[in-house]
Amino acid sequence: MAEVEETLKRIQSQKGVQGIIIVNAEGIPIKTTLDNSSTVQYAGLIHQSVMKARSTVRDIDPQNDLTFLRIRSKKNEIMIAPDKDYFLIVIQNPSD
Amino acid sequence: MGDRSGLQAASQLFWKQGCTMMFKDVADFCICVSMTRRGLRLGMAKVTQVDFPPKEMVSYSKETQTPTDTQTHTQARPEEEEDEEELAEAKPAEDSQEKKADQEEKQEEAPPKELTEEEKMHLLHSDEFLTFFDRGSRIVERALSERVDVCFDYSGRDLEDKEGEMQAGAKMSLNRTFSDERWSKNRVVTCLDWSPQYPELLVASYNNNEDVPHEPDGVALVWNMKYKKTTPEYTFHCQHPVYCVNVVGTQNAHNLISISTDGKMCSWSLDMLSQPQDCLELVFKQSKAVAVTSMAFPLGDVNNFVVGSEDGSVYTACRHGSKAGISDVFEGHHGPVTGLSCHSAGGPVDFSHLFISASFDWTVKLWTTKSTRPLYSFEDSCDYVYDVMWSPTHPALFACVDGSGRLDLWNLNNDTEVPSASVVVDGSTALNRVRWSHSGREIATGDSDGQVLVYDVGEPICVPKPDEWSRLVHTLMEINENRDEGDELAAQRLVA
Repeated sequence: MAEVEETLKRIQSQKGVQGIIIVNAEGIPIKTTLDNSSTVQYAGLIHQSVMKARSTVRDIDPQNDLTFLRIRSKKNEIMIAPDKDYFLIVIQNPSD
Repeated sequence: MGDRSGLQAASQLFWKQGCTMMFKDVADFCICVSMTRRGLRLGMAKVTQVDFPPKEMVSYSKETQTPTDTQTHTQARPEEEEDEEELAEAKPAEDSQEKKADQEEKQEEAPPKELTEEEKMHLLHSDEFLTFFDRGSRIVERALSERVDVCFDYSGRDLEDKEGEMQAGAKMSLNRTFSDERWSKNRVVTCLDWSPQYPELLVASYNNNEDVPHEPDGVALVWNMKYKKTTPEYTFHCQHPVYCVNVVGTQNAHNLISISTDGKMCSWSLDMLSQPQDCLELVFKQSKAVAVTSMAFPLGDVNNFVVGSEDGSVYTACRHGSKAGISDVFEGHHGPVTGLSCHSAGGPVDFSHLFISASFDWTVKLWTTKSTRPLYSFEDSCDYVYDVMWSPTHPALFACVDGSGRLDLWNLNNDTEVPSASVVVDGSTALNRVRWSHSGREIATGDSDGQVLVYDVGEPICVPKPDEWSRLVHTLMEINENRDEGDELAAQRLVA
């Protein structure tokens, strides 16, 4: 458990990282470095996006599955590492 | 009724002022009971059920998907025209409107879908979470370290040189430094190896950290050259310091050979590491056990090998056969032998009888298995030479490292008096290990402070030209002649 904390701290201290959220498969945040309202907002919205992305991939080829999702916007970048049971969401501002 | 896709069937039932309760029914009908300030309202809503629980099959319709979770959706539904089709983008906006509209609804936003602290802690300790986190954090760290901006606009901006680009003609330039605050600091790098399968992976083993006695004594870290992240890919530790290992053989028939200072050589099968497959006592002349400090196998040979010992001698030996054990002794060094390397660059001429040795006596010596006296002695160093290795691609090139932090490249065809390229590592550390990558273009070296440095070698130096092999034949002939002359002169002086 301490290792998880350490890793989170390490990721958080990387250049430009604004926040880290871990959500479970239902979209409920279980660990976050952001404030509560942002967390809830990001968790809900990103969960939908990931589900849509995953179903897109599966639609095209049922044997395929989503492994990584990156949403690049003008102001920042959202990286999502999805899994069967959880998602790891990291928001980074690359110009920092 | 229209399609209400995207609704998650609630497995938890909540009663709260102003919330909506949904009963999951086999017939796919949901009875919505919404209790608002306006009173109880009952309505039938046919819902297309879409589930996203972790272990169930994701089912979806081709229609637009609407968001899944919050129960405000279900609340909103009975209040609107049921035939309305809502797009995903509109939903969140609508949500917030609904939220503002109804005070009570705000309450349910977080709590119904939130887990208690206890439940969260339980999840965070579960195995699946740890597996997920291990993999997810590794991928995310790699992604974070890549600073490639595909949207970069070059017009009107100065181009900056990327780090790590070698200037044309540079001999050796530092590419990467690998070091880990927790696991490699204060430990000596005892061994290095490049992966044959993934050329960007490098494993380094470390001995114990004297400052931190309660941490494991032996650590091995796998580093990745491909990504810019500065942390190791994988970390392994064990209770005893790791010194050196070697795998010999082919993919199907291979053994792990380990050798130690008590003169015992064990070969292990990778499937059963609790006991060695067989052991060989290395004794010289039936009595003296050889205190082995280094070992090397010639290319493609799994039976014959050379070992260097504490007493400064090099021995050839074989593992199997009637003459199993030590065969010949090569005397020449005045101090313990620290490193051995057998010639491995394949080409038109076979030089596999050549090997080089490094020793505490400040020299590197060139030997051939055909003669027990050294062919040549390289004496440019002013400190213990800790390791030496032939280039895997260039027949006349080898690298050596010494205690003053110097990494030297010698090219026999250029000059045997001085190294062709040399670099000193910053900081007053001794370099303990040197390892060429399989491509022969990079060199990894480990120092006494737990740092692994990877240098790019300039093309003119490390890429062999087609005539290198024939030139080496001439060079060896010259060396041989000089040696014989030297012996004659020495003999004459004795007589005179």
